[in-house]
Amino acid sequence: MMPSALLNIGRTGAAAARAGIELTAQNIANADNQDYARRTLARSEIVLSATIDLNPVESLGGVRVSAINRSGDEFLQIEARDSNSDLASAQAEISGLRGAETALEQSQVYETLVGLEAALTRLESDPLDPTLRTLALETARQASDTFGIADRALGTARGLVQTEITVGVEQINNLATRLAAINADLVGTRDGSARQAELFDARDAALRGLSDELGITVVLDDFGVAEVRLAGSPSELLVQQATASTLTTAFAADGTATLAVNGQAVTPASGAMAGRQAALEAQAAAQTELDAVALSLVSGANAAQTGGVDINGNAGQPLFSGSSAGTITLALSDPDQIATAPAGSPAGSRNTGALGNLIAAIGADTGPVTGFDGLLNGVSSRIAGLETRREGLAIVADSARAQLLAQTGVDLDTEAANLVRLQQAFEASSRVMQVATELFDTILALR
Amino acid sequence: MAIVTTNSTLAFFDRSLGQMNGLRATLERLQTQIATGQRIERGSEDPAAASRLRSLLRSERLGEVEADNAAKLEQDLTVASDEIGRVSEILIRVRELAVQAASDTQGPDARAVIAEEIEQLNEELFARSNAQTLTGEPLFAGTSGGPAYTRDASGTVTYSGNLEEGTVPAGPGIEVARGIAGPQIFEFDLGGTPTSAFAVMADLSTALRSTTADPSAAATSAIAGLDEALDTATRSQTVLGTRVAWVEALQQNQIDRSITLAEQRSEVGDTDIAEAITQLQQTLTALEASQATFSRVSSLTLFNAI
Repeated sequence: MMPSALLNIGRTGAAAARAGIELTAQNIANADNQDYARRTLARSEIVLSATIDLNPVESLGGVRVSAINRSGDEFLQIEARDSNSDLASAQAEISGLRGAETALEQSQVYETLVGLEAALTRLESDPLDPTLRTLALETARQASDTFGIADRALGTARGLVQTEITVGVEQINNLATRLAAINADLVGTRDGSARQAELFDARDAALRGLSDELGITVVLDDFGVAEVRLAGSPSELLVQQATASTLTTAFAADGTATLAVNGQAVTPASGAMAGRQAALEAQAAAQTELDAVALSLVSGANAAQTGGVDINGNAGQPLFSGSSAGTITLALSDPDQIATAPAGSPAGSRNTGALGNLIAAIGADTGPVTGFDGLLNGVSSRIAGLETRREGLAIVADSARAQLLAQTGVDLDTEAANLVRLQQAFEASSRVMQVATELFDTILALR
Repeated sequence: MAIVTTNSTLAFFDRSLGQMNGLRATLERLQTQIATGQRIERGSEDPAAASRLRSLLRSERLGEVEADNAAKLEQDLTVASDEIGRVSEILIRVRELAVQAASDTQGPDARAVIAEEIEQLNEELFARSNAQTLTGEPLFAGTSGGPAYTRDASGTVTYSGNLEEGTVPAGPGIEVARGIAGPQIFEFDLGGTPTSAFAVMADLSTALRSTTADPSAAATSAIAGLDEALDTATRSQTVLGTRVAWVEALQQNQIDRSITLAEQRSEVGDTDIAEAITQLQQTLTALEASQATFSRVSSLTLFNAI
């Protein structure tokens, strides 16, 4: 055997070890990169063989780097994506509902309604007292104002979720376009190349980003090109080869959102988008209920008022005007106009028949106090239920992600061991080259 | 492809961070509970308890107002009872005078003096009948806001209020009558004819001043009317007395009720400080321990050895 062949073997060994050290360094550098999947180096032996005059001749040629492998398991990826979509859906819905809960709780509608009830009950003790009348009228004004505050706060909460949907649609479209570009690049990339591994990383990152926003089903072909469909009805194509569909959204008058892929209306089954849609629907329901509570206050109070006479013996006028939380306003301007006595009573009557009806209307089982308590209770209970679901989904998503990371994540201890091993391999190959040189020298020294 | 499971460094950091974040969130929630004294920050933390708290808050607010109403009502009823007491005193004095006047030994001058005093007392009775509450509302006019009794030019006193008693809410579903209407105190039937204390007294003083009729006989017959007037006033005072007692009983109920409500509210909505602090200590210990172990485990890297 020629010493030059030995030198070559040593050289390829040193080169392979060097490439290995480089890849280890790359792994270590990307240990903190969420989108990075650990790389391993595939090596293959070089054997030079030839046949000369029917005599096969073989010569060992060392080693070469055959491919950069990227760790990863498509099933674990699917599990991580799906559990992520479910979690994102629950989280988005909770966040939207929390907005509604905060709007309703912090507007203090319940407290003000109870305050109105209390002020009217106090007025019953002395219905002609101007101080108590003024107090009652001002509390009524406060009640109508807090309905306005609740209405606006609910509108703000709705606006926030709508903005999230608009931003989400933009993000989805960007991700879909990026994925289409990655698909196009993948077709032209050599198998086992570093570039291919990098594109796979980018593809999986884009798919994860998409699954955050929308539940998706993904089919990979031989090149690793992803075909993405919406998980939902109908399962429209989002990305196929190098073509990305366009997602659009529209908002109805009650604030609820509809989604369409290339013009085809779709309903996503999971993902943040589905959660936001559900939150908007719940907010619309809360708005309807809030309006109904405001209307029950208006109609109950006005019926009691018009069934009585005011301090001057004039027929009672409506206490509130408007028909929803956003439009309710105090209609009376003078405390004397509060009708406390029943119809037919003379001026200055201390009969509290009509006032009693007014208090009863506010506190009735179908009245605004009970109605608003029911509304708050409904929203809170729904959040509490979702919270329990979210906790369960978070555990599933965490464990799916942990499994995936165990597959694809970088283990610094392993890399440290690799580093030592490869360094020794490099040193050993260098030694081989030294031996080859010495052999060569020995041969040259022959006389 | 073989499944290779490694101890991913990123996963370890993620997991440790998640656990410590969870402990920190628990700590913060406990800290808020202790600082605010409120167990529930938002309704969704415990919807049933939040709804219960709202209804307790409402009961407390209404209870406060009802207690105020009851206190005012007690005041009004006591004032009315006192006024009727004065009315009785007037009637008793008039009866004494009538007995004096009925004596044949009294001459016309003496009777004129007696008539003078009765007229004065009638004046006072009229003033009492229009007595007012401490807030200036008529006591004996029913639910009318105007004066209870008015007097025309000829001196005839007539009731101008109404017979509605009106009620004041003094507890959940409990309405107590506000007072008593004038006719129940001052008006009665005498021998089948409706009359009033004012009329009886006016008739008596007129008769005592008259020179033609038999004044002592008139005084004797007036005694029956005065007895009836006194009975009527005393009956009303008894009614008011029982109402005051009823309101006092209600007030005691209200105090008991407000204590119960406060206890319930505290039970449902307040932080159990002892429990919260124990939990806080426990969580703190867990967090400190996991921080300590985290820094030890994370420093265990092979890179230190090469």
